[in-house]
Parts: sequence; C-alpha cells; structure tokens
Amino acid sequence: MKLILPKNDLPDQLRSWRKEFTVYLPQKLERFSHFMPLDDANARILEQPHNTRIPPKALFLPMTEALVKFTRFGTYEDANMEISPRIVFGMRPCDAQAVQLLDTVFEQEQYTDPFWVKRQEKTIKIGLGCHVPCANGFCTTVGYGPFNKDGLDVLLTDLGDSFLVEVLSESGKTLFENLHEASEELLNQAKEIQNKAHDAMPIAFETENLKEKIDQNFKSDYWDEVSRSCLGCGVCTFLCPTCFCFDIVDEVQRQERVRNWDTCMFRIYSLEASGHNPRPSRVERTRQRLSHKYAYWLDQIGLIGCTGCGRCVSYCPVGLDIRAMLRQAQSLPFEVSHAE
Amino acid sequence: MPNNNRSPYTPMPMRVLRAYYESTDRSLKTLELSFENFEDRKAFFAKFNPGQFCLLSVAGKGESALGVASAAWEGDFVRFTAQKMGTVTKALHELKSGDPIGMRGPLGNGFPLDDWKGKNLVIIGGGCAFSTLYALTKHVHHPDNREDYGKITLVYGTRTSGLCMYKHDIASWHEREDMEIHQAIDVPEENWLHHVGYVPDVVKEVAPSPENAVAVVCGPPIMTKFTLPALLELGFLPETIFTSLEKRMKCGLGKCGRCNLGHKYICKDGPVFSLAELNTLPPDL
Repeated sequence: MKLILPKNDLPDQLRSWRKEFTVYLPQKLERFSHFMPLDDANARILEQPHNTRIPPKALFLPMTEALVKFTRFGTYEDANMEISPRIVFGMRPCDAQAVQLLDTVFEQEQYTDPFWVKRQEKTIKIGLGCHVPCANGFCTTVGYGPFNKDGLDVLLTDLGDSFLVEVLSESGKTLFENLHEASEELLNQAKEIQNKAHDAMPIAFETENLKEKIDQNFKSDYWDEVSRSCLGCGVCTFLCPTCFCFDIVDEVQRQERVRNWDTCMFRIYSLEASGHNPRPSRVERTRQRLSHKYAYWLDQIGLIGCTGCGRCVSYCPVGLDIRAMLRQAQSLPFEVSHAE
Repeated sequence: MPNNNRSPYTPMPMRVLRAYYESTDRSLKTLELSFENFEDRKAFFAKFNPGQFCLLSVAGKGESALGVASAAWEGDFVRFTAQKMGTVTKALHELKSGDPIGMRGPLGNGFPLDDWKGKNLVIIGGGCAFSTLYALTKHVHHPDNREDYGKITLVYGTRTSGLCMYKHDIASWHEREDMEIHQAIDVPEENWLHHVGYVPDVVKEVAPSPENAVAVVCGPPIMTKFTLPALLELGFLPETIFTSLEKRMKCGLGKCGRCNLGHKYICKDGPVFSLAELNTLPPDL
C-alpha cells in the first residue's frame, strides 16, 4: 500500500496519533537532535539530513533500566515495566535495521528478554528514508541502504511537498486511513529519489573476505596500529545502534537491580575477580569491537553487525574512522578456507 | 515458561541450609542452598546437569557466577564453593545457615554426559575450579550411573593440603576400588602421602591411557594451559579433551556481551567446550 501524505497535514496527523500513542520523534536539544515524546507545543519535523546523536535503540534498550526489585524479605521480584503504545516517527533505516539485528540477541528462543519484547510489541516504527546522503554513513557498503525497509512498519520518502507512505505491516496500516493512493507519477518520482540516494552513497570499503581477514589475523600488529590513537572513551560503542552490551549493578537506595549500557572499550568490562583481564589494553578491546561487528555477527546470523550509520566516525574525539580501519584490514593476508 | 514466570533476570528465593569453611585458610566457603518453592526445585532439577553454573545473588551487592558442586542425587539442595575475592563473594562468606539468598540457574551447557557413556573418564582439577568436577564425580559415583562409565582416573592438585576441598569425602575415595585417585600439592608438607608437584607434571607421571577415554580439565588458566598439551602428548585427541571456561559474567544468558569467545558466549554456549571446539575460536582468554 503506497499513499501520499501532504507535509502540511503532518502536524495534525501526529497530534491525532497522540490520543492513543506516545509519539516519539527527533527534536532539537541543544546542538543535537534526540528522539523525544511529542508535546502539545511542538510538532515540527526536523528537516535535516543527519541522524539523531543517540540511536533509537535507546527506546528499546534504555540507557538505564531496573530489572529486579529487592523485597524486605530478602527475595526478588520482576521490576515493573508499564509501557503505553508508542509510535517512533522518523527512524532512519540504518537504526531500524539495527533494532531488527538486536532482536536476534534479545528474542532468542532459549532466553527471551521480556523487557525488550514488551517494548517491541508496543511500538510502531515509522521510518524516514534518507534522500540526502549523510556525511559519514556507509549503509550501502555493509549491504543495507538509505531506503532499507527492514524493521519498519512504514517507510516515508520525502517528495518535497509530501511524503510517500509505504505501509509495510498491519499495524502500520491502521495509522494512515484517510490518505489517497499515490499516483503513478509520484511513485516514479519516489523511485528516482530512492535510487539517486542509494547511488550517492559511496562504497567506503570492500566487504568481500573481510571476515576471513579479521578472523585469521587475530594476533596481527594491525590491531596495534589501528588502536594506537584510541583514547578508550567508548563513545563509538555508546552511540552505536547495534551495540547492546550492558552492565548489571545493584542500586541500594532504590532497592533495585539495574542494567546500564556498557562498553567493551573499557578495561573493567572484562576484568576478572582474580585480576586477570583477557582484554587488558585498547589493542585487544579495539580488536573485540571490530571483530564482533565484522566477524562474530556473521558467524552468528550471517549478517554484518554494523548498519553503517556512521556515528562512531562522526563522534570519535580523535577522528578514528572505522571505514579507514577496515580499508586497512583489507590489505591483511588471508587464506581461503576450503571447509565446505 | 522458563524461570517459573519470573523474568530471566530475577533470582529465585533460596535459603542457606549449611555454610562452612572449606579450606583451612578460610578463603573458601561452601554454601548448601535449599529451595523455598517446590516449583523452583522441580524446574531446577529437571534442567540440571553437572558442569552447569548458577548466579548467586546478594541484594545490594550483586551476582556472582559459581559452578554447582553437588550431584542431583545428593538431595534437594545445591552446593557451591566460593572463594573470597570481591564484593559479592565477600558477602557470600558472611552468610549463615537460615539466611535468604537469591539464585538464577542452572545456566550453561554442563558436561556432555550422554556422549561420554561407555568411556573411561580422566578428571583433572586444580584449586577451587574442582567444584564442578566434584559434582561430576559424585554424579558418576551413584550406582545408577556408575555402570554407564568405565574407569575413573582423578587428578586433583591444590597449592597446599589445607586448600583441598571436600577433604573428608575425597579422602574416602582412596578406598574406592572403582577409581584411581591422585592428589597433589605444589610444595612438600609433613605427613603428605600423595604427589608433590604441579598438575601437568602429575598428569604426565600418571599417564592415563587415552584409549576409549575422555579427559576433563578444570583449573586456573596456567594449569589448563600446560595440561592440555600434556594430554595431547599422551595421545588424547582434541575431540576427547574438555575444559570448562570462565570469564567475567553479568547476565548469564548471552545478552550482556562480555563473556564472548569469538562468536560463542561462555555463559550460554559453554562453559564446557572441547579442545577441538576451542581450536576453532580465537584465543581471547
């Protein structure tokens, strides 16, 4: 189902959803945009090519969240998590893809994360394709794209005065009821915009055999070279839409056990009680970060665990660029495995 | 529904049945926990297998991953031995009989006992990592299980005789005819009748036969590092050598990320791996 939503009608549309949903959309907060709930005053869409600083994974895996409550009797209860139905509006395809990748972590059969599942079930995701290529993104390089539909209920394409509304799921369908079907002409226009956006994204590095090269060069000096200027601040993982590591800590005053985002770029992340640390320096930690995204994810589900949003490139304080690191990795020696 | 309708992060209520020091220097304490709910007990023993671990929880302090040191047939309790190391294990050491405690588990894969049926077992342990091997040995000792396995050869080394765990029970194993037991300490002590030396050297000396046998190695990394090549030299194949790994853990469910070894998570896919499997994974330990 492909519909047309005039931009002038969007504020009313957003307001009408607020009767039943909490509507999250990117809003400007100081210098950056953030996903925040829509309030009465503001229904302005940020017309900007760049993405929010903090990825919308935070709406599914909050930075901090209570998991367990302690009782007076020395026992434990599930933390309360009440969540009303939500619409996330203006999610970029790279971030929607990332949330879908994270489903494979939190919704695996053996142990399902009830907090993640509940948030997913209550959320309708309206994506906004990127008709203007962003500065540091490389979505097409890793096999996705600026109009990728995975993980979305609706995909919008900006046609100038209106949006093309591509409904991708049943729940998405219920949101847009009184809209006209898109004309052939507008569909063609949208197709053209989408193709143009796709072609405008440069190929940042080759992914062929990248996994083998990373796997086979575990002990290479390459890791030392690429991690040399790293400060270990962890911002690349903190703002990464596919990073999901968390720490679990007890908050005594609140009598709760809480999970907080964590990062493999910190020393204490893997530090053991004995004092032994399998990843004692930034060399091993950088190796872990890159290998996880470009090798281990492939072993696990056959997909690269990076959606090419470019945040780690944009926000690294020393300008470390994962694209350059991976270009350099392409020159590592490797052997083709004949296992199959 | 797993975890009896609780979220997988919420511990089940347990109570300390017995708590006693295991080593003479009081660095090791054993806790035997009983279940508060019948349903939890049922669910636990339906899933339990020696080699698995649990996360013990002290409210306000945190959780700690500990291997189960008891076999199911021993009774309706679960045994753990904790070395006093950090915040949580210090709190565990302060617990007395009757105190409430939380537990999540059993977690992990445990030893592949079905695959080992009909084989001789070579069990090699060092220090407090012997706890899950104790559970394994106890499991195999039960008359219902004993016939499923061949000869048992046990090598257990500790730094001193005082650090040897489950002393009285292990002392009685020397009398058993169905197993061969070699205890070792690192440095000589008066009245010590067994081996003196490091575990890898004792293994070489004892030289268990690899024929129709599997070897299980649990110990500190340095011991494991030197024992694995010793076993290979004796003719054990990587597929018949097993070890139980440890890394820092938080969730125990393969979600929090930190215990990965390549694409495997030690908590979810392990902690027991064969050497053949480990050879395919990066040495990120």
